[in-house]
Amino acid sequence: MVTSGKGGVGKTTTSANLGTGLASAGHKVILVDTDIGLRNLDVVMGLENRIVYDIVDVTSGNCRLKQALIKDKRFENLYLLPAAQTKDKTAVSPEQMRALSAELKEEFDFAVIDCPAGIEQGFRNAIAGADRAVVVTTPEVSAVRDADRIIGLLEANELRNPKLIINRIRPQMVKRGDMMDISDILDILAIELLGVVPEDESIVISTNRGEPAVMDHSSKAGEAYRRITRRIRGEEVPLMNLDVPDGLMDRLKRLIGIR
Amino acid sequence: MTRTEHVALKGTRDGLVLYLDPAADFKTLLGELDQHLGESAEFWRGANVRCYAGGQAYSPEEQQVLTDLLKKHALELSGWLSESEVYVPGKSQESQENRGAAIPEHEQRVDESQSEGKALFVNRTLRSGTSIQFDGHVIIMGDVNPGAEVIATGNIVVMGALRGVAHAGAMGERKAIVSALHLAPTQLRIADLVTRAPKDEGGSGEPEVARIKDNRLIVEGI
Repeated sequence: MVTSGKGGVGKTTTSANLGTGLASAGHKVILVDTDIGLRNLDVVMGLENRIVYDIVDVTSGNCRLKQALIKDKRFENLYLLPAAQTKDKTAVSPEQMRALSAELKEEFDFAVIDCPAGIEQGFRNAIAGADRAVVVTTPEVSAVRDADRIIGLLEANELRNPKLIINRIRPQMVKRGDMMDISDILDILAIELLGVVPEDESIVISTNRGEPAVMDHSSKAGEAYRRITRRIRGEEVPLMNLDVPDGLMDRLKRLIGIR
Repeated sequence: MTRTEHVALKGTRDGLVLYLDPAADFKTLLGELDQHLGESAEFWRGANVRCYAGGQAYSPEEQQVLTDLLKKHALELSGWLSESEVYVPGKSQESQENRGAAIPEHEQRVDESQSEGKALFVNRTLRSGTSIQFDGHVIIMGDVNPGAEVIATGNIVVMGALRGVAHAGAMGERKAIVSALHLAPTQLRIADLVTRAPKDEGGSGEPEVARIKDNRLIVEGI
């Protein structure tokens, strides 16, 4: 499952990219959107116009699981189970989610569960069927605070050793000392780092187009997600080099020796 | 020191005290108490509780229902308290002093030095949203992160970084101390004094201890 506590840090974008990345590596993947009432994952994946049945139809027995799955045309083995938009979080119970996850486990190599923001019922539903957790945060004090809370809740619910993704980091700002750096965040959260994704305008474009950035080989964020995907598959991959080339002024200053 | 709208559970020097709002409907009280204990019962497990409900007197049936509810959460109802026996904010100072006078001298000395008594060891990092309350000293083998709080009637020692809120001497003990390997709390309280960490944060990087000196909260190296 992909979770964060705070909203807007990139859970859905991360879910879409991890799922697509894993599928392009040949795994059979299902993306599950549990954000009932505020569904987004279908939009980010560009599959909105193909929804007939949703997760609530499946858990309440309106349709069979197979009927609700949307097959992504770009990848042979990538599927989406969309959230319902006209219901709310109470439409599904943790027990139903557990049963659903068990069913998905039979069928797929990876089930990526996109968790809603918050720590209420939606979160409890999402964690019910999960075996592993990925926590997404941004280098902001408020996001890190919420991630800390979420990690505590995950541990209390027997989801040990969650992994961390730091999203939307801006190397230039970190360098100037205006943004928390990776070690500041790891100091507080003290969990294993799965990857660092730089702030990247191409994410906005790819999200709006419904094409995950991981497919775009010129995108920096896409490259970061490809590395994260490989780490999830068990490979050892070094962190991306986020060093920014020095600006013109820096180079000039060094040239005349005032640095 | 955890509370809901009409129910509060406090650790005192003489054990746990359950405060019930005398004005609240009995059913509401039970509902809140059940939920509240469900959330924090592990922490209090097996303790004796005394109740205080102001001037409100409950019928034997109601008392039985209350006893059963507490039992369900592994708590024992051991009696009722009258107003003169409980800690009520405002008149607290006075009653503390009165009690101090009644305690035999040798016991008082131990109490003043804050060097003995019950202690709670917490073998993990306290993350945002967690709260530890204890009638005695608290030792934490880990960090206290921002958004977490530790409240103790005695001393607080953090074998890690203290970045959250710590309240030592919570029942008014001014000799209590707070120490940490890295002392950078959001807020630090000892007895009735409150202070915030200086803006420049970070601290000295050395283990430090906070205590009350000349009516002020000071921080110094150990």
